[in-house]
Order: sequence, then C-alpha cells, then structure tokens
Amino acid sequence: MIGALPQAIGIVLQPLNFLLMILCGVIGCILGAIPGLSGGLGITLLLPMTFALSTEVSFVMLVAMFVGGVSGSFIAAVLIGIPGSAASIGTCYDGYPMTKNGQAAKALSIGIMGSFIGNVVSCVVAILCSGAIADVALSLGPWEYFSLCLMAITMVVGLSNGSVYKGLLAAFLGLALSCVGGDMVTSQLRFTFGNTNLYGGINVIVLLMGVFALQQVATAYAKNQMTMPPVDTASLGGIGLKLKDITENMKVIVVSLVIGLFIGFLPGMGSGISNLIAYGQAKKMDKHPEKFGTGYDPGIWATEVSNNAGVGGALIPMISLGIPGDATTVLLLSAMTIKGLTPGPMFIQNNPTLAALIYAIMLICSIAIVVIELLTKKWFPYLLKAPYHYLFSAILVICFMGAFTSTTSMFSVYLVLGFGALGVLMDVFGMPTTPLMLSFILGSKIESYFRMGCSYARGDVTRFVTRPVSLIFLLIAIYSVVGPIITKKIKASRAAKKAE
Amino acid sequence: MKKINRTYVMGAVFLALSIFIYIESGNIQFRLVSNEPGPRFFPRIAAIGMALFSILSMIFDGKKEAKEGSKPYLDKKGWIRMGIIMAEALVFCLAMEFIGFWFAAMLGTFMFTWTLKGDKKISIPFAVIFSIVVGCVCYFLFTRGFHIPLPTGTLWKTLGIQLP
Repeated sequence: MIGALPQAIGIVLQPLNFLLMILCGVIGCILGAIPGLSGGLGITLLLPMTFALSTEVSFVMLVAMFVGGVSGSFIAAVLIGIPGSAASIGTCYDGYPMTKNGQAAKALSIGIMGSFIGNVVSCVVAILCSGAIADVALSLGPWEYFSLCLMAITMVVGLSNGSVYKGLLAAFLGLALSCVGGDMVTSQLRFTFGNTNLYGGINVIVLLMGVFALQQVATAYAKNQMTMPPVDTASLGGIGLKLKDITENMKVIVVSLVIGLFIGFLPGMGSGISNLIAYGQAKKMDKHPEKFGTGYDPGIWATEVSNNAGVGGALIPMISLGIPGDATTVLLLSAMTIKGLTPGPMFIQNNPTLAALIYAIMLICSIAIVVIELLTKKWFPYLLKAPYHYLFSAILVICFMGAFTSTTSMFSVYLVLGFGALGVLMDVFGMPTTPLMLSFILGSKIESYFRMGCSYARGDVTRFVTRPVSLIFLLIAIYSVVGPIITKKIKASRAAKKAE
Repeated sequence: MKKINRTYVMGAVFLALSIFIYIESGNIQFRLVSNEPGPRFFPRIAAIGMALFSILSMIFDGKKEAKEGSKPYLDKKGWIRMGIIMAEALVFCLAMEFIGFWFAAMLGTFMFTWTLKGDKKISIPFAVIFSIVVGCVCYFLFTRGFHIPLPTGTLWKTLGIQLP
C-alpha cells in the first residue's frame, strides 16, 4: 500500500479532486460545528451522489467530509459550550471556561492544532501499521471489549468532580436509558410501552441536545447569566500558540494520541468515547487535577488530539478488516459497497491504490483544514460578539431541528424537552452528566459484549477474569472507582494527624 | 422555613425510578437463548445499580449536605424563569407539530429572543426580520437544499394547503 501512496497523492492533488476535497472538508467543518448536525449528515447526503461519480472522486468527497466533521466539532464546544457532536463533549469542560476567561483565541488555537496533530499522526500510524493493528483488534474477544467499556465508564466516573456515588448513579441511569428499544440479541422490546417511536431506542443526538443544549440555555436564563464572554481580539492572528505550548503538553498529546488510536480501531467505538477517556486520563496524570474544568490547556489538548486520532484509528479496521470503527465509517463502508468493492482482509491487496487514496485524502485534507482554520480563525470569535438572545434563540431552534432530522420523528423533539428537564434535575441534584452520556453511548455495547461473552463461553462468566487483557481492564475499572475514595481517605487521615 | 436536603430528594426520586425499572423489566418477554442471561438482565442490573448508589449517596453525600448545608439552587424568581423557558420550548414543539417547522421556527426564534433578552431593549422590527430569516434559511436549506423532510404541520394538511 505504501508503494501506491505517491500515485494516490497525485490523484488527490488533481485540480478538480483538490477543490472538491477543500469544499467538502469546509462543509464538514461547518456541519460539525453546528450543534445537532455532524459530518455524518454530510456523508449521508453525499452517498446518493456517489452513484454518478467515479470511485476516486466519491472517496475524495466522503473522506474529506468525515475529516472536516470531526475537526470542526470543537468550535461550538469552545465558543458556546455546546458540543457540536459527541466527539467534543470533553472539549466543553475546559474550552468554554477558557473562552469565558477571555481566551477564546487560545482555546481555538489549541483545538485547531490538537485536531491537526491527531489527524496527521493517526493517519501516518494507520499507513505504517494498519495490518498489525488490525491483527490486535481481531485477537480481542467480547470479554476484553466488555471490560474495556466498563473501564471507560468507571474512569470517567472516578475522575468527575463531586461525589463518586452520584457519578455512578448517573452512569446506571445512562445504562437504563440505553436499554430502551429492541434488545440487540433477541430483538425483544424493552420499555417501549407500546410506542413505536421507541422501538429503535433513543438517539444519542436527542439526548445530547436535551441534556447539554436545552439544559444550558434554560439554566443560564433561570440564573440570569445571559452574558457573552469577552473576546481577546488582540491575539486572534497567526497560529496563536508557541512551540513551548506544545512541548509543555507533549505527554498529554502522546497519551491522548495512543488512546484515540486504540479506541478508534476497536470496532463500534469512536471519537465520542475516546475524547472522554483521554480527558479523564489527562486529569489523572496531571500534577494539578484541580485546574481541570477552569480553562486548563491540557484538557483541550487531550480531547481534541484523541477525538481526531480516532478518525485514523477508525479507518484501520474499515480498510483492513471491513469492520466499521464507528458510526460514520459504516457510511463509508456503504459507499464501498455502492462502488462494487468488497471491504475485508483482501481489500488492501486487491485495491492498493484506493486504500492508499483514503489515507492520502485524510492526510492532505487535514493539512488543508488546518491552513483554512488558521486563516479564518480570526472570524470565529466574532460569533461571541452576537447578542446572547439572538445567538441562543437560533441555536435552540437548530437543536430541535437536529433532533428531528436525526430520526425524522416529532417524538424525538418532545424527547429533547424531556431530556432537557432531566438535565436541569441532574444539575439541581449535583449529578454529573458525562457518566450518563458515556454510559448511554456504551450501554448497548456493554450488554452485547457481556451476553456474547457468556454465550461463547457456554455460560461461564469466569472467562471475563481469566483472560489477562480483560482482567487488566477490570482491575483498572475497579481502581478507577475505589482509588479516588481511598486517596481521599488517606489524605484526610494525614491531615487529621498533622492537625493533632 | 426548613431547608430541603437535595441529596435526600435525589435519592428518593431515583430509588423510586429504580423500583419502577425493576418491576417493569419483569414484563419483558423472555425466551431462553443458549447460555446467555437474556434481555431482562441488564435493565435489572441498571435498576439495582441505581438503587444501590441512590442509597449510598443518601447515606454519605446526604449526611454531608445536612451537616454543611447547601446554597439554594434557584430563588423563587429563578424557578419562575425556568418554568417560562421550558414552557416556551414546549409551545415551540407543539407549534412544530401543528403549524409545521417553517412557521414554528419563525415563531420560536422570536419567542426565545424576546425571553432571553431579559431586561435589555431590542428593536422589534429587527427581531421579527431575524426570526423570519432563521426560519426560512433552516427550512429551505434542509427541505430544498438537502432534501431532508421537516414537519409540515397537521393544520395545513387538514386544510389541504400545500406549503412550498
């Protein structure tokens, strides 16, 4: 495949292909930045067009839309505190506080550079070792995937601010919500109460728009906090970062890259999960965990590097095994099928140029997007100069529209309202919403893997602890919950002893 | 007036919800499939987990809150404002269903703008134009540009009127 890379780069650099790549990358960026919409929507809209286009042109447009969608999702998270998609939930935690502190330009610069590093490095890793990584993914069974999902949730619960018990309560609530709809294994209906709209379960966009967007606007209005953050117009030009900013955060960047790639190449996982795990890990290994959530650089680096590294990661199982790494790669796989291609282990051998082309588009598109974002960055914060009442009234309308378009059902619109009320209730009770979201996203996977694991082992649940990798994940999961409680107790007893 | 311990309320609410989920999971049709726990297992795990951590939170966090006290989440005016914005959101949803997205988006944008402005003075003609622009751009971009259907409204269907 590496041998075919120069030819693939040549195809991408052809004037028409290059222009289409830029156009789709920018549209993907805009869709990713609007709460409720995503690059996935852009790919869905492009799919019917691919029937009439050549394979090369189709993939230039589709992959550029994919890369642009994930790259742009941080913009809304940083500027208005509402994630463009699940991939940037973690970015809200430090990106928006940084904007509130009057450092929107810095937050945007970190987001742009973090996305760029994540995309490019993951792409290079994917080109060099996609075969080897795919073998690792294949060697893991449902036991390891179950333990990994559990570990991801407990890591986020253990590191969320406030009470661990409330975090775990939120996680179990997310798990309960993920059970709504048809059961993944036997197709039995659960908690649908005869409502056909619930047969397919609850859409993640609907939950995201209710718990994050509506809750945030309603709470801000109720607390009379309807002010727009100040804009640091003086530092809007250039890259906005010094080399020191990158070198100081190198450890976070490298760890987040590894997390993003690893989560990305696991089938069914994606950027929506990797950004939260990377955020949790960054907080855990930082000397000042108390600074997270206040507009702290490593928080943004961690989420933006990891969610974009997930793009390269997600392409590995898609190209090497024919297994989608996340929801958007399912659409890319559909495009392959439309073009009469057979994704799977023989894909690279039979279509080396096309495999190389996908990576070449990702690489060149990432470079093009970073240049465009840096050139246009100075205009992004002007969004914050818009009066609060105009900006957020339009955002609310778009959020409800996004919920409708995700399922084309009015029921989803009413659900946004219900989840908005749930978000307010959780805020009143001091319950964190991140464990709820992560547990909801992973809920169906956890259940499927657990039941598959039991079934494959003929009902023997000990397989979850006798397989070494699964055991390691489970031990980390237990430590993630118990660790902070023990550390807190030790610190308290030491402080009491000192006081004596 | 005695202050309400919010953690105790939270514990009671989620404990009741967990009991409901556990009982309701009993209604899930169960067909034994080779060596796997079945569709009732995870909802019950979720219910048990919710009940357990509701109780633990009431014991540990509730005790802490009772000892240290907590700031009221919102004052009376704040709760009224919360009620207003949520009611407006409900009106917007109902409008979307009955008069369709196009008109509902214009109405909703104006309604939310008027509410979110707070004590600030705004130009009514500008707010009206802004609402029309938001409604039209969203509606035509999606229905004509992307060919994604948006609610057309039951009222127009009943009256036999075809919207553009």
